Amino acid sequence: MIKIENIVKVYTTGEISLTALKGVSLNIGAGEFVSIMGPSGCGKSTLMNVLGCLDKMTSGKYILNGKDISDLTDNELAEIRCREIGFVFQSFNLLPRMTILENVELPMIYAGIPKKERREKALAALERVDLSNRIKHRPNEISGGQKQRVAIARAIVNNPSIILADEPTGNLDTKVTKEIMKIIQKLNDDGTTVLLVTHEADVAKYSKRIIHMLDGEIIDDNKVIDRVVF
Amino acid sequence: MNLLENIKMAIDSILSNKMRSFLTMLGIIIGISSVISVVSLGVGGQDTITGEFEKIGVSTIRITVKTTEAETSDYITYKDIQQLKEKISYIKYATPVTYQTGIASSEKKSRTAMVYGTNEDMQYIDNTELLYGRFFNNIEFEERRAVAVIDETAAKSFFGTSDAVGKTINVGPNTGTKKATIIGVAKSQFEMFGDMMDEEMPVIVYVPATYLDILYSKESKISELYIMADSKDNTEAAGILAKNMLMNRHGNRERDVYKAENLMKQLEQINTVVGIFTAFIAAVAAISLLVGGVGVMNIMLVSVTERTREIGIRKAIGAKTSNIMFQFLTESVIISCIGGIIGLIFGISGAYLLGQLAGITPSITPQIVIVSIAFSSAVGIFFGIYPARKAAKLDPIEALRYE
Repeated sequence: MIKIENIVKVYTTGEISLTALKGVSLNIGAGEFVSIMGPSGCGKSTLMNVLGCLDKMTSGKYILNGKDISDLTDNELAEIRCREIGFVFQSFNLLPRMTILENVELPMIYAGIPKKERREKALAALERVDLSNRIKHRPNEISGGQKQRVAIARAIVNNPSIILADEPTGNLDTKVTKEIMKIIQKLNDDGTTVLLVTHEADVAKYSKRIIHMLDGEIIDDNKVIDRVVF
Repeated sequence: MNLLENIKMAIDSILSNKMRSFLTMLGIIIGISSVISVVSLGVGGQDTITGEFEKIGVSTIRITVKTTEAETSDYITYKDIQQLKEKISYIKYATPVTYQTGIASSEKKSRTAMVYGTNEDMQYIDNTELLYGRFFNNIEFEERRAVAVIDETAAKSFFGTSDAVGKTINVGPNTGTKKATIIGVAKSQFEMFGDMMDEEMPVIVYVPATYLDILYSKESKISELYIMADSKDNTEAAGILAKNMLMNRHGNRERDVYKAENLMKQLEQINTVVGIFTAFIAAVAAISLLVGGVGVMNIMLVSVTERTREIGIRKAIGAKTSNIMFQFLTESVIISCIGGIIGLIFGISGAYLLGQLAGITPSITPQIVIVSIAFSSAVGIFFGIYPARKAAKLDPIEALRYE
């Protein structure tokens, strides 16, 4: 599903250059649930951004669903983000002026789906994250846990093959974290590949595989033995 | 991503910041409305002037004596005019036009007056519209009768009624007036100035030119003559023939003291001047439109910065560069367009309001409407492109990090 080979990412600011990824190779199969862990500055977010087609790598090879996407243009990458990838962010990143329903419909607007179908699919996605009421409210009128559910609904609404979640529970308390992780686990059970960036070991335990990174390199890649399953 | 979706999104965004959007539009509103009022009043003014000229008649020629070069013997005589009419078949009407200032008075009131001396043909050349009575005829002209035609404004002022036929006024120089019987009341001509025709303005009194000579006790030197050809096509020829005949009769061919002017030509000149004037003011007004456009650009740039994060989110969930570009461009076009429409409404109302004061009917053509809307859209596009490009080119990761 995801295959990256020897990915290097160098950030250059003026005369200082920083190598965030020092030749990372990784294979992630369909249906996997992988956590990426590591201290701040280890390159896990950079890796996530490259995998999410938000950032271009300096060198290396990226094959997504059997297609080499290492050298695509910005617009081609936008197309992939639109159809293949769903993002869940730590700070939710909902559009404050739109209602919850409109927020969930937004990716489908860019995918060119007609209005009626959008409405149906958005409602279905909200159903999957257990949020069927308050859909006409705006993001500032609901709780953090609810916001993250909306964000997840938005991420899955175009039926992506991968969900990339960057510290999705970072702003949430323990109880709500559990609820969110339960939803993510359920999505994975339904067949969606999930990639989770976290620095909390408790959160990583919900996944099936943990990758540890340090200084731009993968130092450890293990199956989760004591996995928490709801 | 269709257009309708974009427009809805743009309107949502404009409404979410009503005050700012309105102030941004204000520049466009002022620009468009001033251009529209200036242009429509200018064109309307030209129409009014053309109308006034057409009342006089497009086949009219004015022959004047160049008074600075003329000798006493060069001045036109009544006999000349009679001969012109008899000998030149192209000439249908011909009248001397002499005038003197003086006073006119009834028992009630005395006012300064412009006393015009003409013959009976004046009513056709001037297209005089008589409300009551009649214009003087050839006999009254020949016999130097004490008759007069005044306009409605004067009639009301002197007698408190429009129908002043049969009443008597005293008219003539300040040193001594003589009686004249009013035989006709004409519609007031200078409607263009409306209420400006107040009591301070001199009244206009038409008397037979021969009677004017009596009033001012001298044989008048006719320096101005109006002729009207039998058709528009013969106008030019009638002028040339008349000038020739005058030179023959006075034997002054070598001195070239007569000038024949086609009033149509003068009209064209006046219209050209008004046109240039209108274009100049419109250009000044257009600069305010330009400033309005800069205002749109300014606020769009602020909006792009404010919404950096939104742009990042949109890009992350699949918006292409073109989607973002189009979104912001739509917004600036809609702001300018709404401004343009409001400006159009204000411009038209303003033109009518000012027109009422100046007695000009503004000319609002479909072209003016279309051009102003198209132009404001163009302003929106022109000044929207830079901010929209800036938004579209934002790096998604940096945009997402933006606080």
